[in-house]
Amino acid sequence: MKVTRFDPTGDLIIVIGYLWGPGGREKRPLSLAIDTGSAETVITPDVVDELGYSPRDGEAITTVRAAIGKEHGYTLRAARFVAFGFAVPDFRVHVFDLASGWGIDGLIGLSYLRQFNYEIRSEEGRILVQRTAP
Amino acid sequence: MDTALNYEPFISEPLTWAEICQRYPDQWVCLVEIDIIEEQNFEFHSARVIGHGKTRREPFVQARPWRDKYDTIGHFYTGKIVAPVPRYFL
Repeated sequence: MKVTRFDPTGDLIIVIGYLWGPGGREKRPLSLAIDTGSAETVITPDVVDELGYSPRDGEAITTVRAAIGKEHGYTLRAARFVAFGFAVPDFRVHVFDLASGWGIDGLIGLSYLRQFNYEIRSEEGRILVQRTAP
Repeated sequence: MDTALNYEPFISEPLTWAEICQRYPDQWVCLVEIDIIEEQNFEFHSARVIGHGKTRREPFVQARPWRDKYDTIGHFYTGKIVAPVPRYFL
């Protein structure tokens, strides 16, 4: 069981996550929002572009139906992703732009969260995480 | 537009997160030499700033000259995060 802390007074639950570049050398610590309402783990194009990925590395083009209409992104196999202190190699992320003013680089969705049992203690600003998947 | 040529590479002295927020309010920053306390928590003793700006991309552009030297470059926002989060469906 690992414990991740967050600011309990914030509007969102923000934690630090790490994304590695395609060669496995470079990594980017990022601010990510936990979103149990998102199926996918989302990372913005600015981050993946700077790490050396490109849409040519993508697996599939995606369509997001948002309030303002349809927008496109793509899925990508990242060399390594870490959050809550747990590493997942060859992890699929959804590359999709988020407004710069939001102050986050992405979302941790169920594609990552479902590998764990977790308990969000909002008042304490703590998340207790235990890996369940091998 | 790529504005990399408009910037001279710079690196700050080691700063705490509070000092970074005070010096670069409501901006995106790129950090190196992050003296993090625990990997899973956003708490560190100090870090050096190598890029800052109002857009997500701007500090990344300024940080490019340092990529050969630093494998780990943090990317964070110093302002208050008040994002509405939309829902995603593939």
